[in-house]
Amino acid sequence: MRRAAAILSVVLVGAPIAITPSTAVAGLGAAALVSCGLGILIAPPLLVGGIVLALGEYTLALSLAGGPPRLAGAVLVGVVLVLLLETADFGRRAHRATIGPRLMAAQMRAWAAAAALTGIGALAASAGASVASATVRLPWAPAIAAIGVAITLVTVALALSARRLPRA
Amino acid sequence: MTARLTPLVLSVVTIAAWGLVLGVSSGRAELVVAVLPLLLGLLRIGRTGAAANGWTLARALSAPRVFEGERVTVTVTVSAEQPVMLLELFEPLPPTLRLASGHNRGLFRLRAGESVEWRYEVECVRRGRVNLGTVHARLWDRAGLEAAETSTGLPGQLRVYPRPLPLRRLPAPRRMQAFVGNYVAPSLGEGIEPGEIRAFVPGDRVRHVNWRASLRFRQLFVTQHHQERNADVVLMLDTLTEAGEAPDTTLDASVRAAAALATGYLARKDRVGLIEYCGPFRWVRPGSGRAHQERLFETLLRADVMFSYVTQEVALVPRRVLPPQALVIAISPLIDPRFEKALLDLAARGFDLVVLSPSPIPLVRRATRPSARADLACRLWALERRARADALQRLGITLVDWDPAEPLEAALGGASPARRRRVAR
Repeated sequence: MRRAAAILSVVLVGAPIAITPSTAVAGLGAAALVSCGLGILIAPPLLVGGIVLALGEYTLALSLAGGPPRLAGAVLVGVVLVLLLETADFGRRAHRATIGPRLMAAQMRAWAAAAALTGIGALAASAGASVASATVRLPWAPAIAAIGVAITLVTVALALSARRLPRA
Repeated sequence: MTARLTPLVLSVVTIAAWGLVLGVSSGRAELVVAVLPLLLGLLRIGRTGAAANGWTLARALSAPRVFEGERVTVTVTVSAEQPVMLLELFEPLPPTLRLASGHNRGLFRLRAGESVEWRYEVECVRRGRVNLGTVHARLWDRAGLEAAETSTGLPGQLRVYPRPLPLRRLPAPRRMQAFVGNYVAPSLGEGIEPGEIRAFVPGDRVRHVNWRASLRFRQLFVTQHHQERNADVVLMLDTLTEAGEAPDTTLDASVRAAAALATGYLARKDRVGLIEYCGPFRWVRPGSGRAHQERLFETLLRADVMFSYVTQEVALVPRRVLPPQALVIAISPLIDPRFEKALLDLAARGFDLVVLSPSPIPLVRRATRPSARADLACRLWALERRARADALQRLGITLVDWDPAEPLEAALGGASPARRRRVAR
């Protein structure tokens, strides 16, 4: 399972390099890959650090490339993020453990379903947002986006703290 | 069982927040879209039933009693009445057990009415009563976002007896007891070992007539026989202190030697007793037979170093525990001077005394990093031990220095000729 997580981290780090093959992006990608690798092998916080670096690399690649939004690619990156976090976490739990019969097949099916559902959900949401932005032109769009992000994060935090968010 | 969110949720939220912040600050919608699957994935929390508790556990051990170094197969059977998404089981092993094959952690998925067997093998590295006890269980949802924990106590008592050391020759006792045994006693009577020849007197049995002597001297002579008697052997175990690293401390070596000696003497029909010298005494009265061997082994299982300022006199040990005619085999690394004082006391009281001293030096050397300083310290220690051994031997005490890495039989065999000469005298 750690191998699957390693492949997914390579995909995550490689996607921005495919968008903009520059030295800065590759350097940031290398750092992200090392951190992800260490996170998969040693400690989950390093994996989070690696993904944070990979998102920075993705942002840098998009900023350097410019052009219209690449929403399909972004959905793919999002699905890879979900799978990477879940496979790495499962790999950590399954390391040096007896795996019961049919567990791996069931887990694969669960991940496939999660990838499909979250991917379709994200595609639908982004398509809806594209249509809405084409029809409604809001003034101060960046400010509204920032407020929307803040509201989203606060809502998620409140929803999770009601279910006892774990300590870092 | 209450389900709680796992640290994975925190990771997801952190990454999602970072992605949203990057998206807003860079003005790229892709980053917002990229973290959408993460946020949508959080909607699965509470939908995959991590708090289900319709499952039971049972544990079986391949053997409840084993010797050190032997392996035991632990079989845990998980049965589910309701479907279980992902069950993680963990059995922490006590330090006296080592995982030999398989894993002591398992992940299972069960359908309703299904049973799964989980096996692993442990090696028993040190004597003692081991309780496998508690199994920790954690029920996960499929995404790993939520988990519920519980612990289940299962019976799993394992008795690990000291490793048997091969021993064919044992120190012979100087004095015998009244019961039939395997030693040739100096006293004459019924037996098979021929002794002196004397003239026939009325009442002697015809089968005792020595025909060769009778024909030569033209007068009837009979052959007398030595009686075969048993002996009382008391093993005195020094548990005041130990040196070395578990499972190869001087106490472990002493307990193995005590078990081997007890087995050997009991096989010869001797009565064997045990005194644990640990400040306050603990003892087992001399006895014989299989049941008594079990009793001795049970006491040896519990033998452990117990620090105490209390020092009791050997004179306080009752005669029924330490009979005056008994052969006392003291097993001690000779580290604590209190035990040496007890040995001198025993020797002064005229006990037939043999000291078996498992040397702590090789055990300590094995546990420490090699260095010139350690070598020098060990050499000085060896000289000091030799000086103390010489002092004890000058008092007439038979001392057997034993390197626990070497066979016990070889160490006891080296001391046998000198002791045989002393016993013959």
